[in-house]
Amino acid sequence: MAVDITLLFRASVKTVKTRNKALGVALGGGVDGSRDELFRRSPRPKGDFSSRAREVISHIGKLRDFLLEHRKDYINAYSNTMSEYGRMTDTERDQIDQDAQIFMRTCSEAIQQLRTEAHKEIHSQQVKEHRTAVLDFIEDYLKRVCKLYSEQRAIRVKRVVDKKRLSKLEPEPNTKTRESTSSEKVSQSPSKDSEENPATEEHPEKILAETQPELGTWGDGKGEDELSPEEIQMFEQENQRLIGEMNSLFDEVRQIEGRVVEISRLQEIFTEKVLQQEAEIDSIHQLVVGATENIKEGNEDIREVPHL
Amino acid sequence: LLGFKSVNSCSKKQVALKRMLNFNVPHIKNSTGEPVWKVLIYDRFGQDIISPLLSVKELRDMGITLHLLLHSDRDPIPDVPAVYFVMPTEENIDRMCQDLRNQLYESYYLNFISAISRSKLEDIANAALAASAVTQVAKVFDQYLNFITLEDDMFVLCNQNKELVSYRAINRPDITDTEMETVMDTIVDSLFCFFVTLGAVPIIRCSRGTAAEMVAVKLDKKLRENLRDARNSLFTGDTLGAGQFSFQRPLLVLVDRNIDLATPLHHTWTYQALVHDVLDFHLNRVNLEESSGVENSPAGARPKRKNKKSYDLTPVDKFWQKHKGSPFPEVAESVQQELESYRAQEDEVKRLKSIMGLEGEDEGAISMLSDNTAKLTSAVSSLPELLEKKRLIDLHTNVATAVLEHIKARKLDVYFEYEEKIMSKTTLDKSLLDIISDPDAGTPEDKMRLFLIYYISTQQAPSEADLEQYKKALTDAGCNLNPLQYIKQWKAFTKMASAPASYGSTTTKPMGLLSRVMNTGSQFVMEGVKNLVLKQQNLPVTRILDNLMEMKSNPAIVFVVGGGNYIEYQNLVDYIKGKQGKHILYGCSELFNATQFIKQLSQLGQK
Repeated sequence: MAVDITLLFRASVKTVKTRNKALGVALGGGVDGSRDELFRRSPRPKGDFSSRAREVISHIGKLRDFLLEHRKDYINAYSNTMSEYGRMTDTERDQIDQDAQIFMRTCSEAIQQLRTEAHKEIHSQQVKEHRTAVLDFIEDYLKRVCKLYSEQRAIRVKRVVDKKRLSKLEPEPNTKTRESTSSEKVSQSPSKDSEENPATEEHPEKILAETQPELGTWGDGKGEDELSPEEIQMFEQENQRLIGEMNSLFDEVRQIEGRVVEISRLQEIFTEKVLQQEAEIDSIHQLVVGATENIKEGNEDIREVPHL
Repeated sequence: LLGFKSVNSCSKKQVALKRMLNFNVPHIKNSTGEPVWKVLIYDRFGQDIISPLLSVKELRDMGITLHLLLHSDRDPIPDVPAVYFVMPTEENIDRMCQDLRNQLYESYYLNFISAISRSKLEDIANAALAASAVTQVAKVFDQYLNFITLEDDMFVLCNQNKELVSYRAINRPDITDTEMETVMDTIVDSLFCFFVTLGAVPIIRCSRGTAAEMVAVKLDKKLRENLRDARNSLFTGDTLGAGQFSFQRPLLVLVDRNIDLATPLHHTWTYQALVHDVLDFHLNRVNLEESSGVENSPAGARPKRKNKKSYDLTPVDKFWQKHKGSPFPEVAESVQQELESYRAQEDEVKRLKSIMGLEGEDEGAISMLSDNTAKLTSAVSSLPELLEKKRLIDLHTNVATAVLEHIKARKLDVYFEYEEKIMSKTTLDKSLLDIISDPDAGTPEDKMRLFLIYYISTQQAPSEADLEQYKKALTDAGCNLNPLQYIKQWKAFTKMASAPASYGSTTTKPMGLLSRVMNTGSQFVMEGVKNLVLKQQNLPVTRILDNLMEMKSNPAIVFVVGGGNYIEYQNLVDYIKGKQGKHILYGCSELFNATQFIKQLSQLGQK
C-alpha cells in the first residue's frame, strides 16, 4: 500500500526555504523561486516534435469522436426502417466511409512524416529511441481507432451479403437443387402441399425465372430498399401458402392432443382395474395355497391307508 | 474476510507497480484511449522487483518509451515525464538531485522502494529549489515494495545486496553486533514492506534462540510502533476489513535455516527445482546454452555449436504454472502432448486455407464463402493463441532437454533416489562409498552433496576410520572438504540444542526403468532414466508449519531466515494442496541452489 508523501515534500521545501533564508544562503531562485522557474522554463525549446506529435493525436481523437458519434446510426439502419429517427441512407454511409478513409490516410501520412524528421539533428541515442517509441504509440492509437471503422464496415458488408442471400430465396446453402429455375423442380412441390392452388404454382415459377437475373446483380444500389410489384405478389402468395400450411399443422396438433388425453385416461382406468384385481388375486392365492395343503394332507392320508 | 484475492501477492504487486507507472492513479484499460508516454528510471533494486512481474512489452503497454538505470549516462529528453523507482540511499538521492539540476525531464514522479527519511527528503527539496524545479516534482511516494515477488506464493528479500543477508553473513563466527543489527534491520525492513503491501498485521511465531527470533522481535516492535500512531498507521484504511484484529490475521512463521541443512543440498526431481539446481535460473529467467539439435551425443562429447538463449518463466506461461511442480518424466510427456495437439490445430488452419483457395472463384458460392469466412475468422483470431502455444512448446522443449542432459550425464535420478532413502532412514541398497568412488556418477559437487546429506541425517556419527575412508574417497573424486568442516561444527552445535531433524518415514516408489516415455517421434528419450514417483513426505520446515497451523489462521507465511530453495517451496505447495481454502506463502532472505549453498559452507569451513 503506497503512501503519498507529496505534501510532506512540499512541507520540506518550505522548511528548507525558511532555513536557507535564516542562514542567509542565496538560492538560484530565492524567494521568487516560482517566478524564476517560469522564466527559466519558457526559453527552453518546446520541442517541435512533441507539439506535432500531440497534434496528430488530437486529429486521431477527432476521427474517433466522429466515428463514435455516427456509429449507432450507421449500424442500426436496417433493424427499424419504420423510425425516422436514426435512419441513415446508404449514401450517407458511403460518405462516412470516405471521410473516415481520407482522415485515416492523412493521419498515417503525418505519422510517416514525423518518423522521417524525428531523427534529424538529433545525436542522442536515447532521444531517438524515445521518439521512435512515441511514434509507435501514436500509430497503435490510429490502429485502434481504425478498428472502430473496420468493425462497423464489416457489419455493413455482412448485412448486404445476408440480404442478398435471403432475397434469392435460398433455404439452405446445402440444398442447391432449389437454386435452379427449371420448371420441373418447382412443379414437384404441388405434390407435397395438397392445399396448393395449382394456378399459383405456375405463377411463382415464372416470376422466379424473371426476377432471377435482376437479383443476381451484386452491389447494385437499385432495388435494395424497394421491392418490385412482381416480388410483392410473389411474396404474398408465398405468405398464403405458408398460412395454409400452418393451419393444417395446427389442426393435426389439436387432434394429437385429444388422442393423448384419451390415452392417459384409459391408462388411469386400467391402473384402477389392475389394483382392484390385486385384492381378488390375493384371496384366490390364499385359497389355492390352502387347497394345496389340503390335497397334500389328503394324499398322505390316502397313502397311509394300505398300511393299515 | 481475508480472501484469496488479497493474498495473491503477484497480481497485487503488479497492480501496485502499474498504478505507480500510471502516475500513481489506478490504471484502467481503454481501447480507444489516447497514448500517454513516460520514461522509467530505476536502480538495480527496482529492476529486480519489476522484471519478474512485468515484461518489456507490458512496460511498453503502460506507455514507457525508455527504461534506464539511475546510475547511467542519461540525456535530457524534453517534454517527457519521468517515473523514478529507487531505493532511498545516499548515492541515489545525490544522482536524483543532479538530474533535477540538469533539467533532464519535464516532470518527476518520485517513488521510493522503501520509506525515505525526512532528512533525505529535504535534500531533494533543496536541490529542487536550487534548480527552480519544485513545481516539476509532481508526486512523491513511499511504495513499500522492498521485496521481490517471484510467484503468487513466493517471495525473496532482495537480490542486490544478498551477500549482506546471506546464510554465511548471518552464521559466520566473526560477525560483530553492529553488523548483525544491520543484517536484521535489512531483513525486517523488507518483511515490514511485505506486510504493508499485504495489508495485514501478522501473528508471529519463531524458533527460539536463533537469528529468526531476532528478526521476530524487531519486526514485532516495528509493527507495534506503526500501529500505535493511529493517524499515520499504514494498516488502517480500506485494505483492511472490520475483522482485522480477530482470527483473520495471517500467521508468520519465522524459521532459521539451521534447522535443516540437508534440503538445500538435496538433489531434486520436480521441474522448477531441477531448473534452479542444474541450469542458470534467476529471478524467473533461465539462461541456456543451446546445443545444436537433440541428437544423442556420446557421453562426454560436447556439441560444437552453442547459442545462448534466455527465457522468462512467468505466471503467464500456462504450461509452467501447471507443471513447475511435476516430476520430470511427467513434464516430458506433457510437452509431447502439447506438441501433438498444437500440430492438429495447425493442420486445421492449413486445411481451411486450401479450401478458401479452391472455392474463391465460384460465384454461386457466396454463402459458402460466408460460412468459411466465419471459420477463417475464428481461425485467424485464434492464431495469436496458437502462436503463443508454439512459443511455449519450443521454450519448454529446450529447457526440458537441457535438464535431461544434466540428469543423464550426472545420473541425478540415482542421487535423488539414494538421498531420499537416506533422509527417510530406509535401508540403502548400495554403499555410499561405491557411489562416491564411481567415476561415471555425478560431479565432485554431487558427491559432496550426497555425503553431506548422509552426514547430517545419520543418527550415529561414522567412526574415525570410516570418516577417513570417506574423506579420502571424496578427495580422490576431486572434492573440496571445507564444507564438511563447517557441517561438523554445525552438527555438534545442533546436537546440543535439540534433536536432529528427521524427515518422515515414506520413500519414493521407483517404477522401474523406462526405455522410452512415449511412442516414436518423442523429443525426450529417457532411456535408462528411472521413472521415479514422489510420495509426499513433509520436510522439516513443512512439519513445523503443520504443527503451528490451526484451522483459523489463513494465510500462513513461512519465512526462512538464512536462505531457502524451491524444494522447500514445492514441499509446502504440495502440503497445502489437500487443504481446501488454505493458503501458504513462502519467503526467504535469499534463494540459493546447492552449488551456491555449498560455496557458502565452504567459505564458512575455511579456517
